Parts: sequence; C-alpha cells; structure tokens
Amino acid sequence: MKLPLLPWLILFLPLLAAAAGMLWTLRSPARTARLSVGAIAGSFLLSVVFIAVNGWLPAGAESAVTWLAVGDLSVDLGLQLDSLSLPMLLVVTGVGGVIHVYSLGYLRDDPGFARYFACLSLFTFAMLGVVLANNFLMLFVFWELVGVSSYLLIGFWFGRPAAADAGKKAFLTNRVGDFGFLLGILLVWSTLGTLDFGELRKIISVRPDVLGGAATLAGLLIFCGAVGKSAQFPLHVWLPDAMEGPTPVSALIHAATMVAAGVYMLCRVFFLLDLPGSHALDIIGWIGGITALFAAVVALQQNDIKRILAYSTLSQLGYMVMAVGVGGPATGMYHLTTHAFFKALLFLGAGSVIHALHHQQNIWKMGGLSWRMPVTFLTFLVATLALCGVPPFSGFFSKDAVLAATLTGNHANYLLFGLGVAVAVLTTLYMFRLVFVVFLGSTRSAHANAAQESPRIMTWPLALLALPSALAGFWAIDGIYAGAFGGEGGAGHGGWGHTIAMLASLAAVIGGFVLAWRLYRDAMDDPLPAKLGGLAEAMRDRFYLDEVYQGTVIRFQDACAGFADLFDRWIIAGVAVRGVHGTTEFVGRALRLAQTGNLRTYAFLTVLGLALILYLALG
Amino acid sequence: MNSLALIVLLPLLAAAALAAVPRNFRVVMRLAPLAATFLTALLALKVFLQFDPALPGYQFETVLPWLGAPALGIQCRLGVDGLNVALLLMGAIVAFAAACAAWEIDRREKEFAILLLVMTGGILGAFASLDLFFFYAFHELALVPTFIMIGVWGRGDRRNYATFKITLYLSVGALITLVGLIALYLQAGANSFDIRELIRHVQANPLSAGAQHAIFPLLLFGFGILVSLWPFHTWAPVGYAAAPTPTAMLHAGVLKKFGLYGLLRIALPLMPEAAQGWMGTLALLSLGNILFCGLVAMRQRDLNYLIGNSSVAHMGFVFLGIASLTLVGVTGALVVMVAHGFLAALSFALSGYLYQQTKTLDLGQMGGLLHRLPFIGTAFIMAMLAGCGLPGFANFVGEAMVFFGAWTVFPVITIVAVWAALVIGGVYMIRAIRQLLHGPLPERWANLADTANAWRKLPFALLLGCLFWFGAFPSTLTRRIEPALAPTLAGFNRPALVELSAPDGVRTAKVMVSTETREDTRP
Repeated sequence: MKLPLLPWLILFLPLLAAAAGMLWTLRSPARTARLSVGAIAGSFLLSVVFIAVNGWLPAGAESAVTWLAVGDLSVDLGLQLDSLSLPMLLVVTGVGGVIHVYSLGYLRDDPGFARYFACLSLFTFAMLGVVLANNFLMLFVFWELVGVSSYLLIGFWFGRPAAADAGKKAFLTNRVGDFGFLLGILLVWSTLGTLDFGELRKIISVRPDVLGGAATLAGLLIFCGAVGKSAQFPLHVWLPDAMEGPTPVSALIHAATMVAAGVYMLCRVFFLLDLPGSHALDIIGWIGGITALFAAVVALQQNDIKRILAYSTLSQLGYMVMAVGVGGPATGMYHLTTHAFFKALLFLGAGSVIHALHHQQNIWKMGGLSWRMPVTFLTFLVATLALCGVPPFSGFFSKDAVLAATLTGNHANYLLFGLGVAVAVLTTLYMFRLVFVVFLGSTRSAHANAAQESPRIMTWPLALLALPSALAGFWAIDGIYAGAFGGEGGAGHGGWGHTIAMLASLAAVIGGFVLAWRLYRDAMDDPLPAKLGGLAEAMRDRFYLDEVYQGTVIRFQDACAGFADLFDRWIIAGVAVRGVHGTTEFVGRALRLAQTGNLRTYAFLTVLGLALILYLALG
Repeated sequence: MNSLALIVLLPLLAAAALAAVPRNFRVVMRLAPLAATFLTALLALKVFLQFDPALPGYQFETVLPWLGAPALGIQCRLGVDGLNVALLLMGAIVAFAAACAAWEIDRREKEFAILLLVMTGGILGAFASLDLFFFYAFHELALVPTFIMIGVWGRGDRRNYATFKITLYLSVGALITLVGLIALYLQAGANSFDIRELIRHVQANPLSAGAQHAIFPLLLFGFGILVSLWPFHTWAPVGYAAAPTPTAMLHAGVLKKFGLYGLLRIALPLMPEAAQGWMGTLALLSLGNILFCGLVAMRQRDLNYLIGNSSVAHMGFVFLGIASLTLVGVTGALVVMVAHGFLAALSFALSGYLYQQTKTLDLGQMGGLLHRLPFIGTAFIMAMLAGCGLPGFANFVGEAMVFFGAWTVFPVITIVAVWAALVIGGVYMIRAIRQLLHGPLPERWANLADTANAWRKLPFALLLGCLFWFGAFPSTLTRRIEPALAPTLAGFNRPALVELSAPDGVRTAKVMVSTETREDTRP
C-alpha cells in the first residue's frame, strides 16, 4: 500500500475543521464554512488520489495504532481499506461535499451558520470513522458519534420545540438500537476473544461453527444497531421526525451518512451474519421487506414534501437491508450508493422548492412549479426516474440487482421478491404523485405563484448530483463491491434472475405510473382518502405507531421511574432511614445535641471519638 | 521534601497561613486558594507525567518524620502507584477548578478559603497515604469541613436537613470503616500501620476465613456508605443540592472516591477470600445504583437533584467493575472514578453558575437558555453527553471497560446495566438538555448573562479538556493503572473469557485459532 498516511488525513481533516470551528472561528461564520467545505473537499480529493494510486483493493489494507489495551481487551484505532470502504469514502465525501456547498446558499442568513458547519464537519468525521473502522469498538465509537452529530443537527433550530423534540427522539431511539448492538459486540468478544474484523474473519473461516447456538442471537443483536441507525421497523419512528432539521441535513442523513451507516455495518460484518445454523439473515431479510412495504404505504398519504421523501428513504433502506438478508450484501451496497446520489438530489431539490416558497412544505399548496423552477424540476425528475427504477437511470440497475438477489441469492426468498415488486409499484405511485402535484398542474397558493428559481450556489449542486443519478448504472459499481465479498456476495449476476427481476420491475414502474397519472394528473386535492376511507387515515397517521410507543414503552419506563422515585423517597429515605432513626431515640437525641450549631464542638467531638476508639483498640 | 509531600502540604500550609491574615484582605482570601491549588495541580501533573508504569512498587515515596507516632507504628508515609497517581491528578485539578468556582462565596470568605484548602489537603493526603492511620485521618480532615461548609454557606430551605443527613450518614460510614480498619489491624498482627507492610504480612500469613468474613462487610458497607452505595445513597442528592458549589464539586468529584479507593487499596488485597464471596452481592447492589437511581433521576424536577442522582448512578459502574474482579473491569472502574471526578465537578460547577443567575434550578421554569448562554449551555450539553456515556469523553472508556469486564462474570446484570447506561442515562440527560436549554426562551430569563471572560471560562474549559483528553487517549490512564492492579487481581479466580453456551471442546479449539491468527496479523 502506497501513501499510508493519506487515509488518516482523509479521516481527520473534517475533525480538525470541526474543532477549529468550535474553538476559534465561531464568531467568523464565513471562515468556519470555508474550513468545513475545504476539509470535506480535501478528503474527497485525497480519497481519489489514494484510490488512483492503490486501486480498490490495496495490499496490506490496514493501518492501525493501539488505542486501548488492558488484559483481554485490545482495541486498535485502525483503518480498513478495501473495496467496501474505499467506494464508500467517495460517496460520503462526494455527496456530502455537494451538500456542504448547497448549505452555503440554503443557510446563508441563519444566525447559527458557523455552528451548523462545525456540526456538519463533525458528522462527516463520524461517518468516515464508521466507514474506515477495522474493529467493533471503534465502529461503535464512531457509531455513537454519528448519533450525537445527528442529534445536534436535527435539533439545529433548537428554539423550535418540534426540532428539539425530534433531535431528542432520534438520539434516544438510536440508543435503544445501540443497546442491542453493544450486547452483540460483548457476545462476540467473549466467545471469539477479539474485536478486530480481520481476526474475526479468520477465526470464522477456520471454524464457521465457533459461535454455536449463539450465532443467531449474536447476528440479531448486531442487527439491532442497524435497525436503529438505518431506521428499520420497528425503530423507524425517528426518521420522519428528523425532517425538522434544515433540509440539507435531511439530505445528508438520508443519503450519505447516518442511515447508510446501518446497512454499511451489516455488510462489514456480513461474515458474522452468514454462518451455518444462523437464522439471523432470514429475519434481517424479512425486517427489511416489511420496512420497505410499510414505509411505501405510509408515504402514499403524506402531504409534507420532506416527509414523503423521508418515508421513501425508509422504504429504500428496507430494500437494502432485504438485499443483505437474502445474501446479497454487494447489491445492498450498490443500491445504497445509487440511492445516495438520487436521494440527496431529491432532498436538495425539495429544499430548493421550500426555499423558493418561503418554507412552505405542504405539497397541496404548491403546483405548476415546473416552468418557474426549470433546473430544480428537471433534476428532480431525473432523481424521481432513478428512484422509480426507470431505465437507463441508475436506480434501475441497482433495484434490479436487489430484486434479482431475492431470487438467486444464497438465502433466496420468493415471497420477498413479490414484496419488493409491490413496493416498486407503490414507489412509482407516490413519487409521481409528488411530481404531478408539486411541479405540474396549476398553482395552489400565492407563494407558488411567485416562486423563482433558487440561486446558483444551490442549483449547481443539483446539476452535479443529477449526473451520477442518471449515469451511475454504467459505472460497474456493483463489481467493485462484489470484490469485497468474494464468494459471499456475488449473488445474482446475469441469468434468469435478472431477466425476471427486470421484467417485473418494468411492469411495476408502468403500473405505478398509470395509477399516478389517473389519480393525480390535474388533481386539486387528494382523491385517495375518499376511496380508501379509514385506511387512508391510518396511512396518514403512520398506523399510530408513535402513539403505541408513547402509550406502552415510554409510559412503562416512566412508570418505573415514578415507582423508583416514590420508593426512594418514602421507603428508603422515609421509612427505612427515618424509621431506624425514630426507634433509636438515643442516637437521635445525641445527634440533636451535636446539632447545636456550634461547629467547633462538633469537630472536637469527632476527633475525640476517633481518639477514644483508637485508644480502646490499641490499649 | 519531594513533589508528593508538597502536593499534600501546600494546601494545608496555605490554610494555616491564611488563618494569620486579617479577614478584610479579601483579595488574599481569593487568590491564596487559587495559587495553592494551582501549584498543587502542576505538581500533580508533574508526578503523573514522571510516573513510570514499568517500575514495580511505589514511586515518589517519602516519609514525613515529624508526623506520626513511631512507637505505635504510625508514620506519615506517602507514595504513588498506578492506583492513586491518576486520582491525585484528578483531585488536584478539581480542587483548582473548585477554587475558581469559589467566586460565588460572598460572606466569611476567610473561613471558606481555609476550609476549602483543608479539605483539598485532606483529600490528596488520603489518596497519597501509605499508612493506614493517615489514610483514615486525612479523610476525616477533609470530611469535617464538608459538613461545616454545607451548614454555613449552603443554600435552599432544606439546608439544615441536608447538613444533618449528610453528617449522619458519612459519620456512620466513616465509623463503620474505622471499626473495620481497626479489626483488620488487630487481626493482621503486623504491628505496623504501613499498608505495604500489612499487605506483605498478610500475604505470608493470610487472615483466617472467619476473620475475613467478619471484617470485609464492615469495610464494604462502611466504604460503601461513603460512596453512596445503594440503598445508603439518599444523602447524596440532598447533600449536593444544598452544598455550595465548590464543596459539591470537591465532594462529589473527589472525596467520594475515597471509599472506592479504600476498597481497592485495602479491602481487596488484604481479604481476597471474603472479597470473592461478597462480589455477587456487590454486583446486585450496583444495579441498585445504576438502574434504580437512574430511574429516580428521570423523575427529578430540580437540576441539582438530577445531577446528584446521576452521580449516584455512575458510582454503580465503579461498583460493578470492582465486583467483576477482572483486570478489564477493575481498570475500567478506576477510569470511571477519574472520569466521574471531572464530570461531577463540571456538572456542579455549571449548575452552580446557573443558580447564581436564576436563583432556581427547577427544570419546569427553564427553557431556551442556550439562546442567552452559548458557552455555559454548550459546556452543559457536553457534560450531559459525557454523562450518558458518549464516546470522546473519558466516561465512555471506563463504562465500556466495566461492561467488557463484567460481561464474562455477571452477564445478566451487565445486560441491565447496559440498558440503564445507554437508554435510561440517555433519557434523563437528553431530557435535561431539552428542558433547560432548548425550546423558546421564557421572558423572565431574557437578561441572563453568559460567562464574562476567559478567566471565568477557565474551570469549565479545564474540566472539559480533561474529559476529552482521557476520552481520546485512554491508554495514558490505563497504562499506569493496569500494572498496579494486576498482582492483586491475579489472586482471584476469574475466567479470562467465559463461554456462554458452546461446549468445552469448541472453546479450546477456538483459543488455539485465535492465537494463531493474532500472530500472523501482527508481525
């Protein structure tokens, strides 16, 4: 491996920018922003250089220093550079960098401009750490840092109660997932004796049955972490609320960082999930499938432009997790990558619309924006076509690969294939609902009438992202990822699976489009509630899951806390302590004597007592 | 007189000197504690940096010949090893920060300054002593000023009740400890109060099982009360809520660690057999701290009660780490002790600053303070995040090590502790941030003022810096701690790594594999 120092620079440049931003340049917003953008651009360029010199699979692909070593526990600060982490580096710094630039325009007049960029750099650093980590504890460290940076950014407008609550919810929901994740790490460490991915992989390859009956449990516990971060059912509730953050943050969370971390982690430790006798992958596949379907259904009845996109992210994440579950991690990563491009583009496009409409987010107050905002419209359309899987846009290839994996992967599951096709129909339906209502038809508000195209610092990033959204299917990205999995992930290349998947997904796109055309072309309000009745209401209210959690889990824990508090106050401090005090009258009186307020007497008594006991004991 | 002796004596001498200064020299009363604790902290840093973990035994050993009663085998001997070198550094830095925070005291400055210095000298002396008598006496020297400071300079309408309660509890705890220590001394029969001599003697002639089982609980619960071991913890939140800021910082941060230090320094090495027998109980009780007090913290409406309860909860991680008796777990416990010292001091310093401004800490009346207090608010957010175990801060390293150490011994208890650490800790810390700092700013707080200058920011920045440093470079701590613990813990019968469900044959095969792979990946 040449240039071994470069990866360290790539990792730490954003941290330096964040630290400098917090410590020195908070009063100079422009300089903080320049530092931050410069850092991520630098990381991107260095990544390109490193890959150009070393290729996708450098020899001796680790560099590590010991971070902590005590007894049986040894943790490195180490970087793993292979064809899984290197392309991911480009995605994080590339897409993230574009979002940085876009933010320059979007938040230009915000008083928290400097704080925003400092947090953004911290977020980038944390995500790069997740990508590069070579052992479980390091991964967990950066994993938590991703969680906290998202907390800071979602609650960026902390004066708004909704934003502050959303940040809190994101952090705590993630913590629930991390609980399982940490237990999984503990379990793996105590049975295999190491946390290092390379060493774990070697142990597994020599003795695949080494985890024995605990294999399924370990796999599922680790998966818990991904359920939290990648917002899988049933811990998905934080993601739609996270829309309260500034729109570029949503783009970052939904595309290049945060939610990608969960899927990436599953691929990183795929060798631990795919063990003989382990049922972890089957469950993972089903969770992914359920999330995909559930979120797509809910997306259909949302009216907030960002919430529709949020549920669409949930749904696509479900696809990725499903791909991992059916034994095709490389295809999951492939879809993650193309999704990063077009989902970032969709969010930035939505941000451009929101910006033009003075923070109006209800799609039924928009309409007819296509001629007023041509760049936004065209790029948004490209991203929509990619998301729906229309050939030859990038999403077509990656979605096709995912569907093919459900047919031909090592854990193929035909039911999941059917589910995936149904989701594809729904995807096209809700995305074209969005496009028709927002960009076509007639305007439905004064703001929409007066809308103008956003400034160039915001439209250029759109154009930049439109390029890979359209063309990434021809860049053989799946081949690079497949290299990281050898025999493990090379599922579904060519053959009958691809043909069937392609035909099915094309049919799904056409079906979804026809439905959307008939329902929403020129619609002034949503025709679905009238047709579906109560079901539409449940869809709009997200099937009441938030309320269920509020009423069960949260209330239960609060009730426990209330009980503990009462017990503490009345039993331990009250009855036990005061009771003892009351019955031993003598002690009580003696102490009351000591409480005369004369502190010198008190000090004297203590010393006297000490001396007396010493005398008795020694004499 | 070497650096170590100076660390202990400087604050005490400064206190004595202050007694001779007239009380209207207010500047002197203000500057003397600052100067003394600053020098102490510098010396402690020097000792910490010069400490060589590779050397066995104690370093910077010194005897104060004029202090002690040689006829009784009592002599003031000081020295550091991995067990106390970091605690001394932490104690000295917290003492300096506490001296900085003492600007809130506006009456009887002279007495306060003297008591603060005596308390500091006492704490550092207790940690540095290698003599059983002075180990205890120095602790008493620090404890008595605590009571006086709460009684005289305390705040709130529950001040008298709090003084009464904390005095009662801590005196009882100290007395039980004293009885245990005396019994230990008599049973050991070494005719010396020198801790090293005692350990050497006991290793050659172990205490009888009966004696161990009679004495160990005295020390466990005596020390335990001093550390707010559940269910003897109720003094802590009440006491800290009423204490003046510097006192709360010093007690919660440093003095409270004395009991834990005593368990590690004296109880474990002298009575290993009884220790092993009691650790299951201790692990269960630690859950009382971690889970129960965590839940209690969730319900608090007053910021100081919340911080006080969370501080009690954090002590549970130390108890759990000690109970594991594994090298990883106990080292983690010591890391938590150091980290929590900085964190508790920081939290109480922040709440003290807030109280000066608002005269209330009722969370229900707060909100949006980050608008007015960018520096204090940011520091507060960082403190809360450190408190819920966020990586980057030293607490995470300690807690994670405790989990790794305890997992192999008490898996079920560890599961509950992880839940409490990640979720319950997160809930009350994040809720506190939400209630205190986020949301719209109420009208009545529109005139709050942030820290005026760099000087006022110093104690907060210093404590935060320490949390960050040991969080980012934990091996600076563990490298020093581990060698000191290894000999004591080697005597305990703990499996290195416990197999959870697989049969024995698999385990042996696996260990073989893992050593092979380690060799070829680390040339």
